[in-house]
Amino acid sequence: MNSFAEINDKLIESTIEIFTGMVMMEISVLGEPLTELGSLKKSITGMVGLAGTRKGVLAVHFPRQVALDVTSNFLGLEVSEVNEDVQDAIGEIANMLGGNLKTILSDRGRDIQLSLPSTISGDEYSFSSQAEVDQVILPFQAPSGVFYVEVELEH
Amino acid sequence: MELEKHLIDATLEVFASMIFIDITPEAPSDEPISVLEPNLSSLIGLAGDLKGILAVHCPSAVALGITSAMLGMDVTELGEDAKDAIGEIANMVAGGLKVALAPTGKKIELAIPTTVIGKSIRTSGLSGATRIMIPFSSPIGRFGLELRFILA
Repeated sequence: MNSFAEINDKLIESTIEIFTGMVMMEISVLGEPLTELGSLKKSITGMVGLAGTRKGVLAVHFPRQVALDVTSNFLGLEVSEVNEDVQDAIGEIANMLGGNLKTILSDRGRDIQLSLPSTISGDEYSFSSQAEVDQVILPFQAPSGVFYVEVELEH
Repeated sequence: MELEKHLIDATLEVFASMIFIDITPEAPSDEPISVLEPNLSSLIGLAGDLKGILAVHCPSAVALGITSAMLGMDVTELGEDAKDAIGEIANMVAGGLKVALAPTGKKIELAIPTTVIGKSIRTSGLSGATRIMIPFSSPIGRFGLELRFILA
């Protein structure tokens, strides 16, 4: 997990920056990074792949209510169910976080590209990558609940 | 479309070379993946000249059947083994697509496969992307191969 010690702080900083500046939502870090997430209930996950010199995935996992609030704030429209607007908004959050992660990682001259963002939703699901990855899960407190930013990078 | 052919060829090759289950591609479909009632979906990001997400969507029985066939042992639970097996299929199909597109000058790079296991899973891409969904039938049931993409 050593490689993450360096990027955790920058990732936390850029997550807070995106939420404060783009989503207009106050969030804060909630304790130490986790190593396992367990199953997600009534949630929506935004994810984007990283390819090139570093391969991996960035995912952001929101409970439904937090996802709805993020979408309402971000798009400036009221949403009350997980629809296409919510999927687009959560995908875009993942895309922005992925863009920042790319910059954080390629500060060291690494050439990285992002895939298209995608969203996953369901009543209950677990989310995981292949075994040989470094993984970190950062918990954040939003006004209506806790959400997680997860990064998995191939060695 | 060429892409559909590449996807079908890559999938058939993966199954013929390492899974040994006879699968048959059906006509590409506009149906949402929910018609397949997937319990396990493996997704892999594609970047470069074709930006997208490729996904393999399997109901439980199909995921377990494929995993058992691949590992040569009876796998009865959707867990690590199934995750690794279907994730590897997503990875190899994406790799096949990459190789098939190389002669056309389109370069793509792969991210790593990620797997979601659960009930009533729904996945979606950005609303502007093109979607290809190819259902496959097999003796152990149907599964779906989905690509959402934009061309750079």
